[in-house]
Amino acid sequence: MDSPTSSLEQNVDLSKLSDKDKQELQQFVVNESQKARIQQTVHSLTETCFKKCVTGAIRSGKLDKGEESCTQNCVDRFLDANFTVIKHLEQMRGGA
Amino acid sequence: MDSLNSFGASADPKSAVMNQVRQEAAMNNARLLIEKINDHCFERCVPKPGSSLSSGETTCFTQCMEKYMAAWNTVSRQYIGRIQQEQGKAAGGGSGGMF
Repeated sequence: MDSPTSSLEQNVDLSKLSDKDKQELQQFVVNESQKARIQQTVHSLTETCFKKCVTGAIRSGKLDKGEESCTQNCVDRFLDANFTVIKHLEQMRGGA
Repeated sequence: MDSLNSFGASADPKSAVMNQVRQEAAMNNARLLIEKINDHCFERCVPKPGSSLSSGETTCFTQCMEKYMAAWNTVSRQYIGRIQQEQGKAAGGGSGGMF
């Protein structure tokens, strides 16, 4: 995402923005960045869980029951693992 | 990106920026999804590349693509549900934490 800034500057005069608009835009960008981060995580989780859960021959365009519940579990267990790591790191920091 | 420029210039600067950011984000998201679908489905559907894509491989590809998108939606639903759940817990516990 490097190019958008330069193309933006060329066709939008940001100096015309009122303070209220600037504030609103700033909040908008914060929200959009958060959305983008979440989407990014969804992409990498989908990748991980697709590899783990869709192992049989691909015979239909839908997830079958087993694949669906595996994918749901995959997301939850991945996050559990994540929290465990963070918790343990906090413990290590507290113990040091 | 000519269409974007003319579009941006006609609207007020704030919505122009917003629209451009939205479009860039959507493009980025779509590009990533397509890239990953290609990677995974090629791996799964074309184990031994022949002189052309067979009809079986093509069918596998379209099904794999739909399956991958279905998986994306399932992951998205599950992940967002979990974040909201954890945020609820964090709000109750008082500390916001890192995320």
